[in-house]
Amino acid sequence: MTASNEYRFQVNLSGMIQILSNHLYSSPKVFLRELMQNATDAITARTEAEPGYQGEVRVELTGTGEQLTMMVEDNGIGLTEADIHEFLAMIGQSSKRGQQALLDGETSFIGRFGIGLLSCFMVSHEIVMLTQSAKGGPSMEWRGKPDGTYTIRQLDTQLSPGTKVYLRCTPDAAHYFEPDYVKEALFYYGALLPYPVTLYHDGAQHVVNSETPIWLMDPALARSRRAEVLAFGERLLGEQFQDFIPLTTASGRTGGIAFVLPHAVNLNAKRSHRVYLKRMLISEKAENILPEWAFFVKCLIWTDELQPTASREHFYENEKLEEVRSELGDALRKGLADMAESQTERLQKLIRLHALSMKALAVQDQAFYAMIHRWLPFESTRGHRELGELIDEGETLYFTSSVDEYRQIHHVASAQSMLVINGGYIYDSELMATLPMTVHNVHTERLQPDQVSMSFTDVPPAERNQYYDALRLADSALQRFRCRAEVKGFKPSDLPVLFTLSQESSTLRALEKASEESTELFSSVLGSLSSSMSSAGYSTLYLNVSNPIIQRVLTSPDDQMTPIAIEMLYVNALMMGHYAMSKQELEVLNQGIIRFINWGLRANTDRKGDA
Amino acid sequence: MKTEMDFEELMDEAYGLPNGPAKLGMLEEAARVADVNGMEEEAYEARSEIVETATFCGYPMKALIAFSWQLGKFDQQPEEYDEETLMWSYKWILGKMPDFPEISREKILELLEDFGRRFKSYGYSERSYWYYRFRIFMDFGELEEAGRSYDRFRTMDRDFMSDCEACEQDEIMRYFLLKGDDEKVLEVAQPILKGRMSCAEIPHLTLSEILMPLYRLGRTAEADKHQTKGYRLIKGQNDFVQSFAEQMDYLTRTNPAKGIDVLEETLVFAADHEDPYAKMLFYARAASLLRRWVEESPEYRLRLPASFPYEGDPGDLLKLADYFAEHAQTAAAKFDQRNGNHHVSSLIE
Repeated sequence: MTASNEYRFQVNLSGMIQILSNHLYSSPKVFLRELMQNATDAITARTEAEPGYQGEVRVELTGTGEQLTMMVEDNGIGLTEADIHEFLAMIGQSSKRGQQALLDGETSFIGRFGIGLLSCFMVSHEIVMLTQSAKGGPSMEWRGKPDGTYTIRQLDTQLSPGTKVYLRCTPDAAHYFEPDYVKEALFYYGALLPYPVTLYHDGAQHVVNSETPIWLMDPALARSRRAEVLAFGERLLGEQFQDFIPLTTASGRTGGIAFVLPHAVNLNAKRSHRVYLKRMLISEKAENILPEWAFFVKCLIWTDELQPTASREHFYENEKLEEVRSELGDALRKGLADMAESQTERLQKLIRLHALSMKALAVQDQAFYAMIHRWLPFESTRGHRELGELIDEGETLYFTSSVDEYRQIHHVASAQSMLVINGGYIYDSELMATLPMTVHNVHTERLQPDQVSMSFTDVPPAERNQYYDALRLADSALQRFRCRAEVKGFKPSDLPVLFTLSQESSTLRALEKASEESTELFSSVLGSLSSSMSSAGYSTLYLNVSNPIIQRVLTSPDDQMTPIAIEMLYVNALMMGHYAMSKQELEVLNQGIIRFINWGLRANTDRKGDA
Repeated sequence: MKTEMDFEELMDEAYGLPNGPAKLGMLEEAARVADVNGMEEEAYEARSEIVETATFCGYPMKALIAFSWQLGKFDQQPEEYDEETLMWSYKWILGKMPDFPEISREKILELLEDFGRRFKSYGYSERSYWYYRFRIFMDFGELEEAGRSYDRFRTMDRDFMSDCEACEQDEIMRYFLLKGDDEKVLEVAQPILKGRMSCAEIPHLTLSEILMPLYRLGRTAEADKHQTKGYRLIKGQNDFVQSFAEQMDYLTRTNPAKGIDVLEETLVFAADHEDPYAKMLFYARAASLLRRWVEESPEYRLRLPASFPYEGDPGDLLKLADYFAEHAQTAAAKFDQRNGNHHVSSLIE
């Protein structure tokens, strides 16, 4: 066996830079964020060495056209020549340290110098950096080009400690160098920074983050500064909010403000929380920092305990993040709980706007449901009401599991004065089903359409006997539709029949319909399934004895007329209930109409003949 | 009162919802509206969505019904519809078939051949056919035949119609689980546990499946960690009834109080589940858990969901356990009859 030789990958540096700058970052505009991060890291490092040190960042725009240049300067720790080699050349090297820093480990720095700087190649063909380390040594100049080559030289003059980066903009990127844009972007990224960020342009200077709110470090203070917090939220997030909930974690290393969105949101909408890491904006669309259900808020979060991904636009999904996420979720939940306790009007307002979100959360979380249930809105036979009002009626709360079922029975049910809730809307039937487990002394019951019949008046046996022949004719006419007829009295009396079907017969209808359309093989598979359920799969057509037409059909059965009339009432009931009809049922409908027209015409001619 | 929405509104609303019964209800309503109005393409579109949603939230029968309709339409006018999406759905449908004991062994194999023939005709890799054959024979409890399919499918090229690597790995793991080789199960699970393979359902499923093997190997500290993480991933989702069963199986032995929490939180999903196999496992594990729990806390009254069709006293845990056990045994007997062996009932003994 020969000794193993070590080889090194030949990396094409300009290709790497291309990839990093064009694919790692979401947009060229992040170069400014990267520079600010480098500056923040440099200042952090210097503050660690010299407690109480006051950092600052200066940004200067000079020149016009092809000479338009941006300079970003910090008074942080600065770099020695050795640092430059280590950090800036990291991509080209495969030094252990470089890999380590690139891939993992919690460091006290947001950016990783070299890499962040590469993003500048998206807006500039050359990066010039002048730096002086606070540890001493000569001042250094570094010039880098997008092809991966760079030069380093010692300067003759001695600069004060810190780093300046000069970028000359490419024609494509000119808009990123406009003073107004830069001012906005600096605020956007650096609004929470604990030291001044100043923009110099045209002889004027402007501190972009002059007013750092005091509630930043202690979100609980935000409660007493409502107007200020709302104004800050509007400036930073661009929306006019009316309410917010302060957030903190147990460690106090993550905090924030959850602004309640002033409009309803789609449950699948992208969450876009804005997150500051060590008070420097890291992400404007952090999706994974709050629990899934927190879609009714837009948050400002600041943290110093999470690990950003390589693009520094998201966080690594690790246990720490999971912990932070669940603590932030708890804080949000607690905010809502407090409202439920002492500011019900505020909560009511919030629920009215975000009912769907609240319901989604309530489905997942019983304790939360118990807390807010009174204010959740439902549609019922007593109108659109809040659940609390419905519960106060003290009756059994019946609910359907679909809009369809509700539509079938709500007229009948309200005529019987049953309290029925339409459970067909999103989450409603689940909430109804779990309500008794959540709230004491409330009884809910899933109402199958065929159960409405419970409240029908029974027809006395003697009278029923009278309808015997008619019912037999009806049953045999309906048998091929797996339906049976029953005679009952119910309100409203102008409703001749009511068609109801259980969940099972509903599945059967769907099975049969699919079977009609499918391939032979699948039809026979569906057949095996339906044969196991057919006994329970009968639907019911209730004939209303209080209805005059039905009375006539029932009292004078006619071997020819009655079956056809019943069939027609059946398909009519299907149409009224908006059921999709099978081929067989459609045929009944078509033939029936033609038959009745025919009979009508014949009766007419016969009468004329009589005259 | 708004009770009638048009097709587009319904679909929009459905697309805006997370997977679950609520979304499914919207889609079914959309399909109904399309049917009533004779809108065939729309009806097909709605059913595509139904198949996907129903498959992943505990309604395999609804998925099958919608798919059958689609396949019929597709065969009548193959040029009208996209074959790739439909064939992808076919895999879900096929994978769920053995969970219905009413469908005979012979029919399932016929479906497998139909599936294989269609995949071949489109020039897809045969890997999917052999992989599903592997799964189906595992479901039948015919491990030798499953093993032969396993050897075949592993050597075949994957293509864009193959199941993802994480899902395949999880099925391979199940194979060794059925063979009773716990050490091998954990070896196969490694890439998933290390996070090198994952997808929308993995490691969710895996983390519950490895609990009993770890328990049998005496590695409960590890198992506890996976249990906590696994449950967090699947909590509140009705697609994971079988995983809830696996969680209870483990917790019955190690922490029945926590098991009872799982039971109370998930029973509502199991009771409404359309997959008889997952439901059977859940009921079987619930029965054992309750019997174990009686020893610890005989006075306990189990909280049952309102829709749960049990008339007896929820405080009589042994009776309730019998109720669950009976349901599970009846279902297992049906599977055994279909499979012609005692494979399924042996799983719940």
